[in-house]
Amino acid sequence: MEVLEEKEKEEQKEEELKALEVGSELHDMDKKLSVEKVCFSSDVPDFDWNSIDTSQLPDSYKVNSPKEKKMLHIADHYHQQFAHLCPERKPLFLHPVNECGVEKFVSTTVRPTLLPYTELYHWDGCASFVSDYLTMEPLKFPLTPPTSLYSPTTILKYQRGNCFDFSVLLCSMLIGAGYDAYCVNGYATHDICSLDETLEECPLLRKPQEVPKEEVKKSNKYRVKPPPDMHSKFELQQEAKKKAETEATEKKEREERGMEAEEPAHDHLCGLRVHAWVLVLSGKREVPETFFIDPFTGNSHSTMDEQFLGIESVWNHKNYWVNMQDCRNGCKDLVFDLSDAVHWEIMLSETDKPLQLLLGAEKENELFDRNVDDMEEEEEEEEEEISFAMPPSWVAPIQISPKEFETRCSQGRKVILYKKAKLEKWAPYSNGNGLVKRLTVYADSNLHTYKSMNPQTERVMEFYTETRVDGLQKLAENDNEMKEYFVGRDDFKYFQYTEFRAKRKKVTLVGTRTDVNSRPIVQIKECFHRNLQKPADEDVAERVFLIEEDMIQLTYHLKDKYITASKKDFFKPTESYRKQSEIMTPEMCITYQAGSSEQHTKLIHLYKLLRELTEEEKQLKQQVWRTQAEVLKILEIRENEEADIKLSASIYDTERNEKRRQEYEAMMKAKKDEFPGQKEQDLDYLAPFLIQIGSPEKITKRQALRLRDDCLSDFKNRLVSKANIIQAHFEKEVEELQKKNQQFQENQNQLSEKEEADFLADYSETMFRIHILALRLDREKQTAPQKYLALEEKLRKDPRLAEHLGHA
Amino acid sequence: MSQSDNSFEPNVIDDEMLQKAVEEQWPEDIRKLAKVEGINFKDVMELQLRFRNILQIDNLWQFENLTKLQLDNNIIEKIEALESLIHLVWLDLSFNNIEVIEGLDTLVKLQDLSLYNNRISKIEHMDTLQELQIFSIGKNNLTTLENVVYLRRFKNLHTLNLTGNPFCDEEQYMLFVVAHLPGLVYLDFKLVSDTTREVAISNYHYLTDLLEHEEAQALAQLEEKQAQQKELEYHKTAFVEYLNGSFLFDSLYAEDTEAAKLAYLPGVDDLLKDFVSVCENLFNYCLKEHEKREAEVSDFYEGLHEVLTANQEEGRRIILDFENQNKMRLDEIHHASSHDTAESMRAEYNEDILQLSETLMTLEMQMVDQLEVRLRLIPVKPPILDAGTFHFAVACRDLENRHHEKLLEISISALEKSLKNELDEELPDDVREFLVDKNTIVNMVNKSHDIHLLKISMRECDILLNMYRWEASVKEKALQNEIDRNRNRIKEIFQYIDDLQEQLDNTQIPELTE
Repeated sequence: MEVLEEKEKEEQKEEELKALEVGSELHDMDKKLSVEKVCFSSDVPDFDWNSIDTSQLPDSYKVNSPKEKKMLHIADHYHQQFAHLCPERKPLFLHPVNECGVEKFVSTTVRPTLLPYTELYHWDGCASFVSDYLTMEPLKFPLTPPTSLYSPTTILKYQRGNCFDFSVLLCSMLIGAGYDAYCVNGYATHDICSLDETLEECPLLRKPQEVPKEEVKKSNKYRVKPPPDMHSKFELQQEAKKKAETEATEKKEREERGMEAEEPAHDHLCGLRVHAWVLVLSGKREVPETFFIDPFTGNSHSTMDEQFLGIESVWNHKNYWVNMQDCRNGCKDLVFDLSDAVHWEIMLSETDKPLQLLLGAEKENELFDRNVDDMEEEEEEEEEEISFAMPPSWVAPIQISPKEFETRCSQGRKVILYKKAKLEKWAPYSNGNGLVKRLTVYADSNLHTYKSMNPQTERVMEFYTETRVDGLQKLAENDNEMKEYFVGRDDFKYFQYTEFRAKRKKVTLVGTRTDVNSRPIVQIKECFHRNLQKPADEDVAERVFLIEEDMIQLTYHLKDKYITASKKDFFKPTESYRKQSEIMTPEMCITYQAGSSEQHTKLIHLYKLLRELTEEEKQLKQQVWRTQAEVLKILEIRENEEADIKLSASIYDTERNEKRRQEYEAMMKAKKDEFPGQKEQDLDYLAPFLIQIGSPEKITKRQALRLRDDCLSDFKNRLVSKANIIQAHFEKEVEELQKKNQQFQENQNQLSEKEEADFLADYSETMFRIHILALRLDREKQTAPQKYLALEEKLRKDPRLAEHLGHA
Repeated sequence: MSQSDNSFEPNVIDDEMLQKAVEEQWPEDIRKLAKVEGINFKDVMELQLRFRNILQIDNLWQFENLTKLQLDNNIIEKIEALESLIHLVWLDLSFNNIEVIEGLDTLVKLQDLSLYNNRISKIEHMDTLQELQIFSIGKNNLTTLENVVYLRRFKNLHTLNLTGNPFCDEEQYMLFVVAHLPGLVYLDFKLVSDTTREVAISNYHYLTDLLEHEEAQALAQLEEKQAQQKELEYHKTAFVEYLNGSFLFDSLYAEDTEAAKLAYLPGVDDLLKDFVSVCENLFNYCLKEHEKREAEVSDFYEGLHEVLTANQEEGRRIILDFENQNKMRLDEIHHASSHDTAESMRAEYNEDILQLSETLMTLEMQMVDQLEVRLRLIPVKPPILDAGTFHFAVACRDLENRHHEKLLEISISALEKSLKNELDEELPDDVREFLVDKNTIVNMVNKSHDIHLLKISMRECDILLNMYRWEASVKEKALQNEIDRNRNRIKEIFQYIDDLQEQLDNTQIPELTE
C-alpha cells in the first residue's frame, strides 16, 4: 500500500512538472484534485462558462466608452514601460476580457456597492457571504492569472468563480461598505489556492484558550523541603537523548509512510501558484491593522501570514499599483503604504493625492463662506480637473435579493473539510428538519465512526439532573458497555459502569429492539463519593458485582493518612452449597482491613452484609434493565420527533409564517379602512369656528361664508405670525453675531488662544443657526401661499359647507 | 411468649432471658451462625423485652449500641439501669406501673419516648432530652394542666399523646395545650387544625406572651453568659485573662487589708488609672501576639498537611500500580501448567511483594527524615513576646515604685497634718490609728509595697510559664502525631504485605507430578 501511494505521489510530481510546460494537463489534474476536495453538488456537473447568456447584459458590458478606451491605452503604455524596466517580471494583470469578450481594465470591474443587509456592513459578514455564496473554481492555469475576468453581477448570477472573481466581488462590497479595500494579485500556498482546509482545525472545534489560573501560593516557611534528588543527572541526560533519538526515528518512519503524516507535503510549485485575495488597509472604518482576507474561506489573515507568498499588484475602483518590493520572504516584510512611490508603482499618479489632506485644507479655507453642499460640488469639480481619472465602472449595480441572500450557498449546501472534521452548512429552511449546520468529527484522519440511532451502538445522552429523581447526568453507551454519571445523589454514587455480554448473534434487526432487556450483564461497577458521616473504612468507595463469577468486591475509602484501602471480596455461595448446614464460612469472604490488626469481623456481620449486597445486586440488575428500556424509549421519541419536525418561523417573517402573514394582511386592511376617518378627525379646521356659532345642525349660506372667511383669515394670520417669529429669531441672531464679531475685532489682540478658539466655535455655531433660520424663513415664504390655497380648496370640499360654497 | 408457666411470677432481667430475646428476633439462618460464634451484646441494635412480667430493669449495660428498646407490657415500677444506653433513640415503657419519670438524663439522643398507661402524676426530670420528637404519656395520672408547659422546652416535639389523663376532661384542655406548644403537629392522634391553633392563640396569648418574654430573657442571659465565658476562654488561650480593666490592681489590694485602709487617704485614686492603662496595653499586645501564634501554628500544620497528602498520594499510587500489575497473577499461578512453573512464579511474585514492601518503607523513611528536622524546629513562640511581658513587668514595677513613693509621701504628710490636727477630712477610726507615728506608717507602706511587687512578679511568671507550657504542648503534640502516624504507617505496610503474602500462600498450586 505504502509503495503504491508513493508511486502515486511521484506520478503527481511528474505531472506537475510537465504542467509547467503543458498547462492544460495540469488544469485537468488540478480540477481532479479540487473535485475531490470541494465536493461539487452532484446535480450540477462541471459548469461551462461559454454557455452563459450574454445577450441580456447592458451595453456597457459590450462596448468600451471613449474614456475606457483611453484608460486601456494608458494601461498599455504603462505596461510597456514596466516591461522595459523590469524585464524579468511576469506580465501584469491589467485588462482581461469580460464575459462579452471585451477588454476591460481591472479597476473598472470593481463596482463599490453597499447592500441593504446589516450583516454585510462588516467585513466578516461580507467575507463569509462571499465564501458561502459562491462555489469555488480553481484557476484554469494555476501558475498564470486568468485571461478573463467576469463582472461581479455575472458571478453572482451563476454563483461560481475563481479566486479573482471572488476577490473582485468581495472588494466591491467592502469598498461599498466604506473599507479601504483592494484586490490583490499574488502568490499563495497550494492549500490556500485550492481551498484545502484539511490541515486546519475546524473553527467550531477550537477550544477557548484556557486562562491559566493564577495560584496565589503564599510562601510557607514551614513547607517541608522535598527530598534531595538522588537521580544521576548524567543518566537523565542519556535517557533524554535516547528518547529524542527514538522519537526522531519514529518521525522519520512516519514520514516515510507518507500520506499518513500530517505535515503538509512539500509543494514543488511553491511560490508560483497564482492567487487573488483582498487587502484591507487600516484607517477607514476603524480598522486598526492592515490585514488580508482570503475570499475562499472568508477568514482574515495577518499580513505576516506565511501562506501568502508574494504580491504582484493591487487595485481598487480608482487606481492600480504594482508592487516593487522583494517578495522572497513572502509578504512579511512588505510595506503597505501605497503612496510610497519607491515600494509601489502607481498607474494614475495624480488621483492619489492624499485624500484627507486635500479635504482638510479645503475645509479650513472655506469654512466660513461655503456650506456643505458647495463643498461636495467643489470636490467633484476638482476631481474632474485632474488630467485623467479612472472611468466609472462598467458593471451594473450589484443586487442580491433577500431570498438569494438567505439561501447563501449554491443549492443551499456547502461542505468544508477541516482537519479531522467535516462541516456542512445548509440554507435556513432548505432542509425539512431545520438542519442548518452539521459538524462531523472523525476520530482519526481515516477512520470514520458513525453514530446512529440504533440501540447498542455508541451514543452519549445528557440529562438535566435537577429534573431526575436518580440524579442521572450523563449516559454513555457503546456496544456492550453502559456508563452512567450521577450528580447529587443521597447515596453518594457518582458513577456506574455496566458491562453486558456481547450477543452471539451479531445481526440485530431493527424490529428486535425489545429483546435488549435480556442482555446478560457481566459486571456492574459503582463508585461512590466519600460520605463524611461514616468512618472511612466503613464507607464504600467502589462496589463491583462480578455477576458471572458470582463475586462481589468492595473497596472502601482511604482512612486519613493511610495508603491502603480496606477491601472485602465476597464469593457468593452456590445453590448446592447453601443447602449444607454452614451458610457462611470464613472462606467466602476475603477481608483486608487497613490499620486494624487481626480483628476479624464476625461472620454474622459478613453474612448480613452479603445478604444486603445480594439484594442490592438484584435491584441493580433490574435498574439497569429499566435504564435500558428508558433509553430505548427516549430514542423512539427522538426518532418520532425527528421524523416530524415543524419549523417555527419568526413572527416577523411574513413570507414563511403563513398565519402571521394573514394576520398582518388583515391588520393592514383594517388600518386602511380606519385611516380616512381618522385623518378627518385630526384636521377639522372648522371645529373651533363651529363652536363659536354654537354648532348648529344646519348652517345657512351666510354662516357658511363667514365660517370660510374666518377660517381662512385665521390660517393666514397664523402663517404670517409664524413667519414673523422666524424672522425675529433670525434678526436677533444676526444682531448678536455682529455684536460678538465687533467685540472680537476690538479685543482680538488681547485674547488668549483658548478664548479665540471659543469664539471661533461659537461663531461657527451661530452662523449655522442663522443659516438654518434663513432656510426656514425661505421655505415658509414659499409654502405659505400653497398651504393657503390648499386649505381653501379643502374648505370648499368640506361636506358641511359644500352645498353653500359650491353654488358660490 | 413461651414462658406461660411462670406468667404470674415477677421476673428479673437475666442473661438467659436476654440471650433468648436476642436470638428470637433473628431469622433462622442467622441464629444458626450466631450459635456457632456466640452473641456479642455490643452488636445488638434493637431489643424487645415485651410481655415478660419484668419487675425490675437490670443487666442491660452491655448493650452499649442499642438504639431501640421495647420494655412495654411488663410490671416495671421504676425507671432505672438505663444510664449506659446512651445511643437509645426509641424507648417504649408503656403499660407498666411507673409512677415517676426519672433516670433518663443520659439518654440525650432519645427521640421517641412512650410512657403510655402508667401511673405518672407529673411530667418532670426530662430536661436533657432535647431531641425528643414524639412523646406519649396518655392514660396516666396527670391532673394539673399547667404541667404541660414543661414540654415547651422540647423544640422538636411534634407529636404528643395525653389522652386518658384526668385533666383531659377540663374544658379548655385542648386549647391550652395547643396554645402552649406551638410546634405541635399531632395531638392525641389527631392533626392540629389551623382554626384550633388560631383560637387557642387568641384565647391564651396573654399567658403565652408572658412565657415567651421570660424565655427570651432567659435565653438572652444564657447567651450573654456563654459569650463571656467564650471571651474568657479566648483570653486564657492568649494568657491574658483578667488583665483588661482593673482586676490586677484590685487584686494587689485584695489580700493587703492594711494598705486598703490607706486608700482612703486623698490622692490615691489617680494611681488606679495609670495602672489600668498599662494593663490594657499589655492585654492588647498579648491578644495580637496570640493571633500571630495561631497563624504561625496553622501555617505549620498547613505545610505539614501538604507534605503528608503528597506522601499519601504517592503511596497510594505505588500500591495501585502494584495491584493493577498483579491482578491476574494469583490466577495464573493457580492455573500454571506445572508444579515447577507455579513454584517459580510464586517465588517471583513473592520477590515482587518484598520489592513493594521495600519501596513503601523507603518512602516512609524519607518522610520521617524530612519531618524530623522540621518538627524539632517549630518556632511557635515569637521572641518578641518575652520582651513584651518584660516591658510590662518593668512598667508595672515602675508604677508600683512611684505609687509607693507617692503613698509614702501622702501618708507622711497626712501624718504630719494629723499630728498637727490639721486634717479636716473625716477619716475612719482604724485609719486614724495608723497615723500615730512615722515608723508605723512607713513600715506599713513598705510592707504593702513588697506584697505588690511580689504579686506583679507572680503575674509575670504566670504569663511566661503558661506560654512555655503551651509551646511545649504544641511541640509535643506535633511530635506525638508524627510518631503515631509513623507507627500506623509501618503497621499498615506490614499488614498489607502480610496480607498479600497470605493470599499468595493460600493459592493452591498444581500438585507435584512425578
